[in-house]
Amino acid sequence: MDSLEVLVAQVQALSGSTDDLLHLHGLLKQLDDSLQQQQQHHQAIQQCLLQLDPAKHSLGFLYFLDAFGSADISMDQSESFISTSATFINASSVDQVRMAPEKFTNVCKRMRDETIRVQRPIRAISPLHIAIRKLQPSSEYLTPLHADLLQICLLAKCYKAALSVLDDDIFEIDQKKTGLTPKDFLLFCYYGGMAYVGLKRFEKALELFQHAVTAPAFVLNAIVVESYKKYVLVSLIQNGQVPNLPKYTPSVTQRNVKSCAPDYVEFASVYSTRNIGDLKRSILAHEEVFQKDNNLGLAKQVVSSLYKRNIQRLTQTFLTLSLQDIAETVQLESPKDAELHILQMIQKGEIHAIINQKDGMVSFLEDPEQYKTRDIAQQLHGQIQKIIGLAKKIRFADEQVSCDLAYLSKIGRDRPNYDPEEFEVVPQKGFTNL
Amino acid sequence: MEMVSLSAIHDAQKAERFSDLANLCDNLDLELASKGGELPEDWPYVIHLLGHILVSDLNSARFLWKRIPASVKQNQPELLAAWKIGQCMWTHNYSGVHEALHNFEWSHDVRPVVGRIAEDYSGRIFRLLSTAYSTISVTDAASYLGLSINDTIIFTGKNGWGFDPSSQMLTVHPLVTTVEQKLDASNLQSLTEYVFHLEH
Repeated sequence: MDSLEVLVAQVQALSGSTDDLLHLHGLLKQLDDSLQQQQQHHQAIQQCLLQLDPAKHSLGFLYFLDAFGSADISMDQSESFISTSATFINASSVDQVRMAPEKFTNVCKRMRDETIRVQRPIRAISPLHIAIRKLQPSSEYLTPLHADLLQICLLAKCYKAALSVLDDDIFEIDQKKTGLTPKDFLLFCYYGGMAYVGLKRFEKALELFQHAVTAPAFVLNAIVVESYKKYVLVSLIQNGQVPNLPKYTPSVTQRNVKSCAPDYVEFASVYSTRNIGDLKRSILAHEEVFQKDNNLGLAKQVVSSLYKRNIQRLTQTFLTLSLQDIAETVQLESPKDAELHILQMIQKGEIHAIINQKDGMVSFLEDPEQYKTRDIAQQLHGQIQKIIGLAKKIRFADEQVSCDLAYLSKIGRDRPNYDPEEFEVVPQKGFTNL
Repeated sequence: MEMVSLSAIHDAQKAERFSDLANLCDNLDLELASKGGELPEDWPYVIHLLGHILVSDLNSARFLWKRIPASVKQNQPELLAAWKIGQCMWTHNYSGVHEALHNFEWSHDVRPVVGRIAEDYSGRIFRLLSTAYSTISVTDAASYLGLSINDTIIFTGKNGWGFDPSSQMLTVHPLVTTVEQKLDASNLQSLTEYVFHLEH
């Protein structure tokens, strides 16, 4: 027990200057093992925490809190751990917690686990959000806590809260500064994609699932397989087909991922026949699997998207068509159903048409937007600015790689075989038909 | 602490800043949750839900509904009535939305918010009908707009629509929208920047 008191005194004394903190960090690292072994002495650890100030003594507080969290926690202690962690995350000094990112991440993850255990995941949302901001050198960095926050948002059904991190574009992955692992990245893509699916932002969801599926890998991974299943369904909803995986997809994924999701591959091939009846039968045939994978809801949305897509295809061929014909062609029950479908599509801007109820006819129109308004010019300007920013980043990354010793020595060896044509930079998106 | 923050929601209601309600409620909800407590008994669930509906964020309304405890749902008929609005919007049940909006005796605080939703919704549906139809039966139009047959004829007539009593059909007068088309000199500056970027 004495040694704990000494350590508390040291934390109190050495939390001022940077030099002191570095010294303290050394001490804490040495004593960490014995701290972890205090597991049975929960009360002693809690007593120490009471003597420390989470804002002033953040580094020391963090080590004690981690010791608290690495032991078995009873239901009663759970409450105390969650609230202490939440207060700590809120008050802690950014500079001090960044000295020990792994410890900080540990504590946050343990708090996430505990909020799930007491069935109040919503409690972790705000603390995890604050924790991410404290860990990130800038909003462009991915941290190991991103995936945790997203998972918690899904569990707590607070999907909108997930946007607070999803809306930031991620450009930086830095293992040293944030302690990120490949699994953190894959889970970020997977949960992020699911959050976007819940919010019906399929384009963004597809982007994230594709990142998971194409992530560099030497062995196939369960997160990749689950992401691929969702990637297939979201692809159908968003684009009406599943494109070939880009060439930069690791070969182990290329070769094996489809055979891990045969039901999905078959479902997609039925979709390509554009026959609603067949597609509905296919859902029934694979219902058990879809249900087990929690993808049944998504699969049903694929069916609605086929109605929409079939109606959109009609606009490419016809100028006017009767509601009766539309209902028959796209296999809707009645002309009224067709009318309601078209009305909703007009409302969402997915189709340009005008309904004549008197004659029961629909006229398909050209897009009335002439792309010459100030509004459009501004949007265009915004997009170009974004691209210019992106181009600068890519140039910077390219320069860094060109100066990298490991890269240069590899290229030096392999140069005779190097053919830039073999490397396709942009993902292949050859959508030939809708 | 809790009282202070709840008062921010009341202030927004008083000042009729209804579009802020969803974010105010969401943020306070998460903050209170992080402090460990359950939501206070007087948590304005109805306003929270309607706040999402008002900014057309039906997804958030749907998820909020899913996480409201069953006991709260049972004891608040007004909450059920508010959810009915969102539900009908979600299923594109146009006439159902109007019924849900008007067939409930909303409490004093809630009434102005529902009023704003009704106003926005009617406006949105009228604009939709004006772009989506060239002719529409008066009964259908009435059910989309939530008006009686007579009121529908009068209301659409004021907006230049024609009515043919023999076929009971309305002829839609398309909306003419004016948009800012003029481009100003600042665009020239941006163009210069683009070319500079491309050449360097």
